[in-house]
Amino acid sequence: MEKYTRRDFIRIGAGAGLALATLPASPEGLLAAPNPDLAIARNGAAGPLVRKAVEALGGMGRFVKKGQTVLLKPNIGWDRLPEQAANTNPEAVAEVIRMCLEAGAARVRVLDRTCNEPRRCYMRSGIEKAAKAAGGEVRHIVESRFQDLPITGGELVTSWPVYRDAIESDVIINMPVAKHHNISGVTLSFKNLMGLLGGDRGALHNHFMTKIVDINMAIRPSLTIIDAWRIMLRNGPTGGSLADVVEKQLFIASADRVAADAWAMGLFNIDPNTVEYLRIAAKRGLGQLDLKRVKIQEINLGV
Amino acid sequence: MMITLRRISQLLFLSLFVLLFFQARFPYEAWLPADLFLRASPLVALTVMIAGRAFVSTMILALVVLALTIPLGRFFCGWICPLGTVIDAGDHLIRRKRRPARQRDPLTWRSWKFFILAALMVAALFSTQFIWFFDPIALLTRTFTTVLYPAFSFLLGGLFNAAFKLHFIEDQVYSLYDAAQAGGLLPTQQPRMFENVAIALIFAGIIGLGLVSRRFWCRNLCPLGALLGIFSKYRLTRRLVSDACTKCSICQRECKMNAIEDDYSVNNTVECIECAECVAVCKPRAVSYTLGRNHGENRIDLTRRRLLQASAAGAAGLMLFKTTAAARIRKGQALRPPGALTEEQFLDRCIRCQECVKICSTTGACLQPALTETGIEGLWSPVSVPREGYCEYSCNLCGQVCPTGAIQPLTLAEKQKSRMGTAYFDKSRCIPWYRQEDCLVCEEHCPLSDKAIKFDIREARGPDGQMRVVKFPYVVEDLCIGCGICENKCPVVGAPGIFLTAAREIRLAEPLRRNTAPNGA
Repeated sequence: MEKYTRRDFIRIGAGAGLALATLPASPEGLLAAPNPDLAIARNGAAGPLVRKAVEALGGMGRFVKKGQTVLLKPNIGWDRLPEQAANTNPEAVAEVIRMCLEAGAARVRVLDRTCNEPRRCYMRSGIEKAAKAAGGEVRHIVESRFQDLPITGGELVTSWPVYRDAIESDVIINMPVAKHHNISGVTLSFKNLMGLLGGDRGALHNHFMTKIVDINMAIRPSLTIIDAWRIMLRNGPTGGSLADVVEKQLFIASADRVAADAWAMGLFNIDPNTVEYLRIAAKRGLGQLDLKRVKIQEINLGV
Repeated sequence: MMITLRRISQLLFLSLFVLLFFQARFPYEAWLPADLFLRASPLVALTVMIAGRAFVSTMILALVVLALTIPLGRFFCGWICPLGTVIDAGDHLIRRKRRPARQRDPLTWRSWKFFILAALMVAALFSTQFIWFFDPIALLTRTFTTVLYPAFSFLLGGLFNAAFKLHFIEDQVYSLYDAAQAGGLLPTQQPRMFENVAIALIFAGIIGLGLVSRRFWCRNLCPLGALLGIFSKYRLTRRLVSDACTKCSICQRECKMNAIEDDYSVNNTVECIECAECVAVCKPRAVSYTLGRNHGENRIDLTRRRLLQASAAGAAGLMLFKTTAAARIRKGQALRPPGALTEEQFLDRCIRCQECVKICSTTGACLQPALTETGIEGLWSPVSVPREGYCEYSCNLCGQVCPTGAIQPLTLAEKQKSRMGTAYFDKSRCIPWYRQEDCLVCEEHCPLSDKAIKFDIREARGPDGQMRVVKFPYVVEDLCIGCGICENKCPVVGAPGIFLTAAREIRLAEPLRRNTAPNGA
């Protein structure tokens, strides 16, 4: 099999982006026909659940090859504690790192450009400690490491500074936490990638629906894992009160981020077909919005 | 021997000062209070307690220093004071070699510090303190926070940025970078301070005065030195000069404090800082120090006439400062840190040491030294400048490092209810209001659960003439705590679309009564 590095991938995206973008699903998806497109794991501790979800997709070996550099992008954006569910579940982050290393990854980098003070976020989210213990390389953002990335096919955003670790890694795993957010109703995998962006991200907030898809044209995760172990139902994306949080004990994993986000919208009783950014993304070929055409496997560890 | 001990002591205490300075950060793991040296300044303790008419329990250490000065003399100046050590180092650097015999400074210069002290005390009696300008510990901490630390961070950060370009050792460089940040040496964002130039010039002036004479600041200007001098009149350390003295005058010329009288055997115990320089420079080894009642000169160089003048100066300054108009509009925009006492008490206590500004620079970075936003009386007192930084919702560190209790140490729960001000939309600048486009960055960042920023969804005609659905934000006054993150993150260039004023701020009418320190966060 031909091995694509992340850099190659982006080069292809830059060179023949439109052609690629019209493919029905990501290349990984095409190669893995016997596996489901989307896996849901329910009821259990965060670590085992996230492992089951990825295993159902065919295991981490499907996404991470020996010697590769993995960039794992959880949400570490807020100075909040794990139980407040503003950041990705630290146990799940640690488990994903372990799976990557088991699959032979040379290194798993974990980072986020935070909204609150970065040291506070990394520490109080519990992610720094858990990820380091699992063997991940927790990196703080170094401002000089952003690099302008041209976005072929971007409608409103045609270039944006992106973190070099994201550009240079072989595999990106996007690991958002499912939260209420008033701009798009719910914030999931598409918005989570903003944590890899430099520049003034506030400027992306008007015409957000188009701009967030533009950004997602440039950064293409191989695997999306949505943390819905706890979900934040209101006052997102910051929350703060435990009354905003519901424990769902659920993880969603898919190589198709549109399908993953679409499924997760259901947790918030939102019809994904009404979500503008998903419609734009599906139209641009970033994934499958019609869940009837997505092969879904559900695992229940509680039974 | 004694001089070596003294130098070791000076170095150790300066190191401790620097160490504690860097310790003032998130996470604040206090093995010793970061504001230890400030708490140990008797000058701060006395003026703040007199001006504030209250006993400040955090400052007990200062009373210990004062009590020890009675038997031991000005050991604090000679052996401990970090500014004294910095001035000593500066004197060594800028005075390349020892000057040949020259005239002593006029003895009248020494009286200036008593004049300053008297003026400050008179002002304090009338409930105003200007001590913040002169106290050496506050002065040095302020210089560290606004000048030296940002410069150091700029330099170290620059070195790291250069080193990051060496891709082949990227991992090693990153490990160092991470360690420097985790250890509190390098802040996550480059501190940028208002008022740093003025503060730097004053510091440079104090060091530069070393060109005139050694320890110029200490011998002539420092009111803390004056205070300790008064208390050390009856000290129990004794300078002995034996018959071996050849009257060469070297001890008088080399005395850092101009404390040795024309009869070389007599030193002024009010001025002497126990530095033992005279012991070291004496060729025939005629000078020694022992314990015992001192027979030296103990004149305080302040005549009754001068004392009256000083009192008048203090009173005049007081009237002038108290009657300056502080522009109402700017005063209303100056936000005090959460847990600040009511304005008058706050200014009585705040010594402008910038310890709160330092620790804030490692979290939300909203606190800055004011210029005259709160009147000339409030010069360099901490104000929150939301466009530069914001008050981090889960941080209560400023009150934990305030040596005088001007900012009270709140628990996190108390702090999160302690309203600093209120946010208002400027509808001529806010994107949804003037351009009819969604934005909501302020709402997104609002840290409150039950957000203080809410919005109406309405149809509106955009600039292109088309009708569209827009989320129009507004502030719910009763929910807003004035943290300022909305103003800070507002993407509008220049004047923000949402801004803070001090309206509805909550100030503590009196210091908290509790003994336990709040949990750090």
